[in-house]
Amino acid sequence: MNQFIGSRALPDLVYHRPNTLDDLLGLVKGVEGDYRVVAGCTDFIPAIRGGKWRFADGINVVDIRGVKSLSGIREENGEIVLGAATRLSDILASPLIREKAPALADAVSQMASPQVRNTATVGGNLCMASPAADTAPPLLVLDAKVTWRTADGEETAPLNKFFLGPGTTVLSPRSVLTEIRFPVPGSDEAARRTRMGQRTAFVCSIISVAVWLKGSPENIEAARIAMGAVAPTPIRITVAEAALAGKKPDEATLAEAAKTAAAHIAPIDDLRASAEYRKSLAETLTRRLLAACVEDLTAYKKSKTK
Amino acid sequence: MKITVHYTINGKGVDLEVDAGETLLEVLRNRLKLTSVHRSCEEGECGACTVLLNGEPVNSCLMLAAAADGAEILTTEGLMKGDRRHPIMDAFVDLHGMQCGFCTPGLLMTGYSLIQKANGGDLDEATIRRSIEGNLCRCTGYMNIVTAIQEAKRQKDAGNWW
Repeated sequence: MNQFIGSRALPDLVYHRPNTLDDLLGLVKGVEGDYRVVAGCTDFIPAIRGGKWRFADGINVVDIRGVKSLSGIREENGEIVLGAATRLSDILASPLIREKAPALADAVSQMASPQVRNTATVGGNLCMASPAADTAPPLLVLDAKVTWRTADGEETAPLNKFFLGPGTTVLSPRSVLTEIRFPVPGSDEAARRTRMGQRTAFVCSIISVAVWLKGSPENIEAARIAMGAVAPTPIRITVAEAALAGKKPDEATLAEAAKTAAAHIAPIDDLRASAEYRKSLAETLTRRLLAACVEDLTAYKKSKTK
Repeated sequence: MKITVHYTINGKGVDLEVDAGETLLEVLRNRLKLTSVHRSCEEGECGACTVLLNGEPVNSCLMLAAAADGAEILTTEGLMKGDRRHPIMDAFVDLHGMQCGFCTPGLLMTGYSLIQKANGGDLDEATIRRSIEGNLCRCTGYMNIVTAIQEAKRQKDAGNWW
């Protein structure tokens, strides 16, 4: 491997690929020395090559892709359940997700490239905890919960409480994220998302926004607004959500909520965009998405009364 | 750490001992001398190392060789039939779907996979462009790549395919 110049060679790894969840959790509990839980490795390898992560020889790499029960998409007790190791391409191809959670399918369709989507996983995207993680805003507005397990038990938290900062989450030591679940959206709910990048293909988001409305064209019962790449973690903006609840979603109300949302984010200047531009996008995109959701609710009401 | 893996590469079974820290790209290029698998960015941006893993395009630079154990792998070498170029290769040659050629094996694999999965009828430009988002070409501006993939699809529909 020393013939590879220009990027860093991977260290000598101790590779583990357990086939059952019990074996996996036992391994993670007992493994000695430094270890990493991996799935698609599409972030793991570039992080080493680029020098973001440095490991000594002998680091344990625990590949969870051998555990079949951690992959797959199913509907169960009014919820959609995604195994943490479900590949992005499987989410995109899922008729269930396309029908019941099109906002998530839409987000995934713009992530990375087809090659990366064929290996990268939804759990990996969340555990890497990038502020710009593109699965996060739609999952946040769909009110997703995440579940992780250790050899000794299981914990669940709302996704809203999962991220702590760039690259850090509440995952307890020696645990493995196993599931992401969210309620199957009802017909009086609408969710939309969008993002802005420097070009359309294969870029990190400058900003991504997702919104969700429940109610009718006359009255919004509840709202959720989430954004990525505007704070140290993907966030919900509850102040703006509260500004919509119980209101008639006329143009002024939506515009005011979008303005409130943009006022409650803390974006930074970076190589992709200025904070000011992100704030401007936050308001505009939120307003447009809210209007689109109201249209969805209107279209549903019309189809029902036909 | 050494690991024994089994692949089916271009139709042939191979048993290999690899380092756990080796990527699939390194094993294909360095151990198996499948030099159509090009090494470039090594972080999944360029697509020059694209191979088909169980029929789907992946970046071989982003996959541990150990994690691909048991997989069926197709590289551009595997598209050849003896000395005969695959019809998708002919389309790239005839329609100037390449200039320097560095990205070509990756684009051939992505294009081949797209065509294999497509139904009858022409592929539209938007579909092709979305499918090759993960393959960078710094020479052509993609125009002739798109037309070459469209032509290859017609060849498949005409029965000139394997």
